[in-house]
Amino acid sequence: MLRVKNLTKVYEDGTVALDNVSFEVPDGQFVAIIGLSGSGKSTLLRCINRLIEPTSGEIWWNDVKLSHISGEELRRARRKIGMIFQHFNLVDRSSVLTNVLSGRLGYVNPIASILKRFPPEDIERAYANLERVGIRDKAHNRADELSGGQRQRVGIARALMQEPELILADEPVASLDPALAHSIMRHLQQINQEDNITVLCSLHFLDLVQQYSTRAIALNKGQLVFDGRPEEIDDERFAEIYGREAERIG
Amino acid sequence: MKNQNGNKWWRQAALIAAVLVVYIYAVQATQINLEEPLKPRRQENLIGLIRELAHPDLFAFENETRSTNISIRMPCPEEIKGSQVTAEGRVATLAPNCATTTQDLLQLSGEGFKPNGRIVVFWHPVGSTSVRRLTDTKADAEGKFVTQFTMPDIRETADPQRIEIVEVIDRRIIGLSDTSNEALQKIVETVLMALLASTFGTLLAIPLSFIAARNLMESIKVPLAATMLAIILTPVLAGGGWILVSRLTTPLVNTDSGVLLSIKDSFLTFGFVGNFIYVLLFFLFLLLLPLLAALVGLIVAVVLGNRYGQEAMMRMSDGTARGVTAVLTFLGSAILFLLIALFISWLNVLGVSQFLPETTTGRVQMLLLPAGVVGAVGAILSLRRDPKRPFAIGFIIYTLTRGIFNAIRSIEPIMMAFVFVVWVGLGPFAGIMALTLHSLADLGKLFSEEVENIAEGPLEAITATGANFVQQISYAVIPQIFRQYIAYIFYRWDINVRMSTIIGFVGGGGIGFVLQRNINQTLYTKASVMVIAIAIVVGVLDYLSAQIRDRII
Repeated sequence: MLRVKNLTKVYEDGTVALDNVSFEVPDGQFVAIIGLSGSGKSTLLRCINRLIEPTSGEIWWNDVKLSHISGEELRRARRKIGMIFQHFNLVDRSSVLTNVLSGRLGYVNPIASILKRFPPEDIERAYANLERVGIRDKAHNRADELSGGQRQRVGIARALMQEPELILADEPVASLDPALAHSIMRHLQQINQEDNITVLCSLHFLDLVQQYSTRAIALNKGQLVFDGRPEEIDDERFAEIYGREAERIG
Repeated sequence: MKNQNGNKWWRQAALIAAVLVVYIYAVQATQINLEEPLKPRRQENLIGLIRELAHPDLFAFENETRSTNISIRMPCPEEIKGSQVTAEGRVATLAPNCATTTQDLLQLSGEGFKPNGRIVVFWHPVGSTSVRRLTDTKADAEGKFVTQFTMPDIRETADPQRIEIVEVIDRRIIGLSDTSNEALQKIVETVLMALLASTFGTLLAIPLSFIAARNLMESIKVPLAATMLAIILTPVLAGGGWILVSRLTTPLVNTDSGVLLSIKDSFLTFGFVGNFIYVLLFFLFLLLLPLLAALVGLIVAVVLGNRYGQEAMMRMSDGTARGVTAVLTFLGSAILFLLIALFISWLNVLGVSQFLPETTTGRVQMLLLPAGVVGAVGAILSLRRDPKRPFAIGFIIYTLTRGIFNAIRSIEPIMMAFVFVVWVGLGPFAGIMALTLHSLADLGKLFSEEVENIAEGPLEAITATGANFVQQISYAVIPQIFRQYIAYIFYRWDINVRMSTIIGFVGGGGIGFVLQRNINQTLYTKASVMVIAIAIVVGVLDYLSAQIRDRII
């Protein structure tokens, strides 16, 4: 269970990215986070695994106060939270396999990992996860040799290596064409349903939200403006979330 | 509008006037003087110097010569005559054929000599095995010459003495001159010096470059108490590690009775490989092992302070945490102050040690009270902040490391070389140490800037997996900077070759040392060879390093 209480993030330049946001996510939900660019979606996701420091408020994952831990404790919490990025964030000059194995860094012996030594079971798991996302044959290619859709699958396989309880996906399909977008979203849906992993996924397109998520949270200028089932978002709600301007264009 | 324009006009005029004044003053301040270079003596000197430089002593020659002898009388008999000899078609005439004083002008002329050939005239003084060079000249296109000279010395004898006219008939290069050989040997020394300095500098700069990279360090935040715990533990564990291990290794490397020293000769029987092993072992026992022990102590201190300090903080209630933080901050800042103050007084910065007691214990006693005050101030400041909130120690370490890099970089390598010459003596070793230090600071800065320029995405992703600092570096940073680092190493090698020629001037070894000696002894034809050698090597390395960089990046 993820609990976000009165979360506020003010950047050093004074921008209020999150303004007193509170919500709870029971285990196993597929939550879509929607809102305009700059509405605070990325900031929210990054506050949860502390890639960004919250200004105030609390974030709890079960009984761990994510917002207040640091050091070793933070690393132990992070390894249970997988993250998928819009721009994939693979290490281009490393192989696909190394990129996937890096998902295990929170678990393995630090010294062995620096020497690029992983336990055999981790290597097997890496191949299995690549198999699951359908690119096992690319394991020994360099990451920058892959196409966009393939790169995002590597990203998913890397997150799966963490044996996550929660996956944060930051606009995972925004850099992909619609066909690939659906394939990536189906992978996420499958992970959510089969492995019972909670997914928080920021999305741009309402049809994707309504097709894949079980719940939607909307942010506007850092404030939570909607929290409910995706199908509840009618024209009126849409206008509240995206503004009157967007309604006419969309 | 009009007023504004007028204002602008005046400003521009004032600016131009100010710039002019600076230039006008600069001419005086830099002592530009056009009269001196016009003096004939200056011009002669200049032409002489340039001609010598243009005539580098590159090759060893063998001359094929032919001699014609003519006799001279000293002193002159009553009746002064000229004399003439003929040999194989060559006719030489000396008039007069005698000299009484060193002022007497003699004229030597010849016909039938080798056209355009070089001619050197020697005198064989009676009773001496050495010869004296009198003059040299050149035959014209028809093989004729006329030259005048005086005798440098008068040896009065009854018999005539011999004057030898030597013609250079042929001149062959038989190999490199001694100067060229020396230049070759020294340029190899210089290149190797630069190589070692670049290698050592790189090895040290790589780990330091990560802690001087803002993007990596900024995110390192731990509670203040954990930081202070690490600061308290560091002198104990790192200092203890150093002392313990150097106690153990001292018997090996002691300069009076060291075990290693006593078996040095047996190493040296294996030539330069044996020497290498000997130096390596000496370095290992003298510096590397104690240093490693200190480093392990430091890491243990940081890990202990970080991990346990942090966990303890999180378990404590706010009040307890605040109290513990205050106590640890008191101790930590007092210890830090004490260590820095002791270092400053040892260094005698601005002559402070005259106000302090002689012995270390005395100094510590005297500094205890100020340290207590500093600790108390630290503790009070620490009370003002939330004890569980992360403290940005990473940013402080980053700022300090960068500051040190910039400070070292701004010290001229020639000054460093001078200091090291005092420590380790004249020669390339001092040069290597100076260049290593400079390379370390320079590469450290370049490397850390390279780290700051990496794509942040992969680093973010690796951090999100729960990887620790070292894992983040080896998985997200190193793959992105590896090639640039290699390129910089070659670039630095190239720079070090250039710098080592300068460093030689203060005794840092290499070709610069020889160049400076040649210039001081006004041996410009030799200096010219050194300059050529440097130019060739710098050019070649410049080209190679550019090629390698192009290929790698």
